[in-house]
Amino acid sequence: MSRLNSHRELEHLREQIRTQRQSITTTIMICGGTGCQASRSQDVADSIREELSRQGLDSSVRLCVTGCHGFCEQGPVMVIEPENLFYCHISPEDAFEIVHLTIMKGEVIERLLYTDPVSGQKVKTEAEIPFYQSQDRHILSQNREVDPCSIEDYIAAGGYSSLIKVTNGFAPDEIIADIKASGLRGRGGGGFPTGRKWNECKEALGDEKYVICNADEGDPGAYMDRCVLEGNPHLVLEGMMVGARAVGAQKGYIYVRNEYPLAVKHSRIAVDQARELGLLGDNILGSSFSFDVDIARGGGAFVCGESTALMASIEGKVGEPRAKDVHTVVDGLFHKPTVLNNVETWANVPSIILNGASSFASKGTEGSKGTKILALTGRIKNTGLVEVAMGTSIREVVFDIGGGGVNGNSIKAVQTGGPSGGCLPVEKFDLPVDFDVLSEAGSMIGSGGMVVMDEASCMVDVAKYFLTFLQDESCGKCLPCRVGIDRMLEIITDITEGRGTSGQIDLLEELADTVSQTAMCGLGKTAPNPVLSTLRYFISEYEAHINEKKCPSGVCKALITYSIDPEKCTGCGVCLTGCVHQAITGEKKEAHVIDVQLCQKCGICRSDCKFDAIQVI
Amino acid sequence: MQQYVNVNIDGAIIRAVKGTSVLDTAIEYGICIPHLCHVPNLSDIGACRLCIVEHVVNGRSKVTTSCTLNVEEDMVILTSTDKIRKLRHNLAELLVAQAPNSRAIQDIAVRCGVTDVRYPFRNEDCVLCGRCVRTCTEIWKARAIGFVGRGKDRHVDHPFGTRPDFCKQCDNCIQLCPMTITPCNGPMKLGEERLCGQCESQLIISEQAPGGCVWCELGEGFACGRYA
Repeated sequence: MSRLNSHRELEHLREQIRTQRQSITTTIMICGGTGCQASRSQDVADSIREELSRQGLDSSVRLCVTGCHGFCEQGPVMVIEPENLFYCHISPEDAFEIVHLTIMKGEVIERLLYTDPVSGQKVKTEAEIPFYQSQDRHILSQNREVDPCSIEDYIAAGGYSSLIKVTNGFAPDEIIADIKASGLRGRGGGGFPTGRKWNECKEALGDEKYVICNADEGDPGAYMDRCVLEGNPHLVLEGMMVGARAVGAQKGYIYVRNEYPLAVKHSRIAVDQARELGLLGDNILGSSFSFDVDIARGGGAFVCGESTALMASIEGKVGEPRAKDVHTVVDGLFHKPTVLNNVETWANVPSIILNGASSFASKGTEGSKGTKILALTGRIKNTGLVEVAMGTSIREVVFDIGGGGVNGNSIKAVQTGGPSGGCLPVEKFDLPVDFDVLSEAGSMIGSGGMVVMDEASCMVDVAKYFLTFLQDESCGKCLPCRVGIDRMLEIITDITEGRGTSGQIDLLEELADTVSQTAMCGLGKTAPNPVLSTLRYFISEYEAHINEKKCPSGVCKALITYSIDPEKCTGCGVCLTGCVHQAITGEKKEAHVIDVQLCQKCGICRSDCKFDAIQVI
Repeated sequence: MQQYVNVNIDGAIIRAVKGTSVLDTAIEYGICIPHLCHVPNLSDIGACRLCIVEHVVNGRSKVTTSCTLNVEEDMVILTSTDKIRKLRHNLAELLVAQAPNSRAIQDIAVRCGVTDVRYPFRNEDCVLCGRCVRTCTEIWKARAIGFVGRGKDRHVDHPFGTRPDFCKQCDNCIQLCPMTITPCNGPMKLGEERLCGQCESQLIISEQAPGGCVWCELGEGFACGRYA
């Protein structure tokens, strides 16, 4: 394709692609996100493509391997247009049937349809599935429409229209005014008003400025940035172009962690394609605006998601935060004014510019506008990526979309915002997804991870897990973060191993407060949140560990013992053969016994027992 | 020509040289802000966090380290509020529990009002203040030592673990190390570390003059900014 020299040429190209595609009657959209690829969606796509060409359907049927659709639990998933037929759990062997029955004859394959777990009915389209019904898929729905490796797809779907607008008379001040009016706040965790950030950078002195896209997502159980970047990289790129135009930057970076190979690959392809069309480079679309983007790969340090550490990493220095008494919008990358935004923030920008601030601001609450993508994981029926309007209650997300606990277990808490967030108990589930409300409740939206926990989770153990994670990921530069987290972990380990004393809760609280107030960067300042929130809502569990030396959820190994209920045990011998430590003895058809000395509390016998005879006290 | 700005530190209006840090200014005017990783003429990294102060902006105070904060016109700084003293106390307690075998750190702990340590002593050899690394890099331009590893594994070492030829063996790193000043009664035995707290003069200072610099012995020992 040749370079586009004006916005008319881009519009012309769009028309051209759309005309070419008029002959297409059917579109098959297979999810090619990392989740579905792991369950062989690429093989499915290959077999279907082969079958299509064998039947000579190449020209009328378009096969599109798209980004993540969100319903990872059911992967691989596909949607067939124009009927919007939704198939899940497809295997490469189903390709023949799909092509012959569904594509050629228009028949529905019952076996591949989704079964509604409540009614037991087969469901034909996405719109009828409860998981999708309660969502407001503003960004994720675009994932489905385009092949991430094809700029034609993106342009045909109306892409780069906001770039036309900002290079054609829409002044930087107007862009910033629009972003401010939309109420867009940073989706990476902090929730800083994006318009204000851009304005501060624009006002900052200097000719050389930068924009950066932060795709160094490292929270356990969160993957929304990955899915947006690998599913629709051009959307993020377009957002960055608008941002660069607004603040006057000539250079941008996408900082993506190397553990996201697909996101790295797709963003590279997208940048190359945009350069080829002249959408990146000098004098974009014939205007005076010049901008280029490079991909910087992160080495896998969680702390490099912090703005100053990320910039140090791009500069080629050790990825450590520095004191931020002067903000990065004034003194950022290479000591130049820099705007750093999260993937999802950038992805929200094009539609705000194109559709106006009011359409974005119409969704959400007073302080938090628009939609938010959440990664729903944990002990829940429907795991996956969900997008809801801000202000939706946690209850709706967990029960209506998530479908409640697995095996009908009752849900105890939800951990939001990753290691920097906190745990909210089920009594707080009526709280809306809102930056200010959640942080007041001791948690935060963070980047949007939601880990659901049921009765089988010990909250002290959860706090310990996150502290261990943070201890590994702390850069170690400042004392409160390095030593403070270590000491908190030491105290919590004492508590979970039965050495806890009553004074330790107060000490833990005081230490957590000290760390949160004195640490250098965001990682350290928010590190005590898992401890503080569990102390706030689940103090009874801490007290049980300390005073009664018991773990109510049966998780902390030092405080529990396994035994067999002789009433329930039928002597089937399954546990006896399954025990790797030979701790179970007993005769056939008689109640078995666990030797407490030998038992390593691994729990294999408990999961093997069909009669629920293994007790944990 | 030097430019000056007026800053308000603990209620006193001070004419400070533009471009200097709040910590340097405070020390120059006899206001004591305890510090460990700061060394005059070296860059500041804000690692020990002991020099925290409250920076009041528009009526809202923010806790930040004074070594990395540069003076600005009409800045309001509080160095010794109850909140700051409590936080500093907790930080010093963490520090001394980590390395009780250093006179300098014992003194800092006493200066910050630590009389009782609630954590088990650890007796480590290094508190990662980074004084040695910065003097090697910035003064001697040798870069013969640096930080290696992350988080709990962070330590100071030569490149690839062996002393390179370009290490001039100037020993400046050792001179600046707070760990080289052993307690008055000699090194404590493993498992018998304690908070010394015997030095009466130090105790009196911390109780009676928490905010003022009294030219304490502590500074002489390991290059407090006042003695530079």
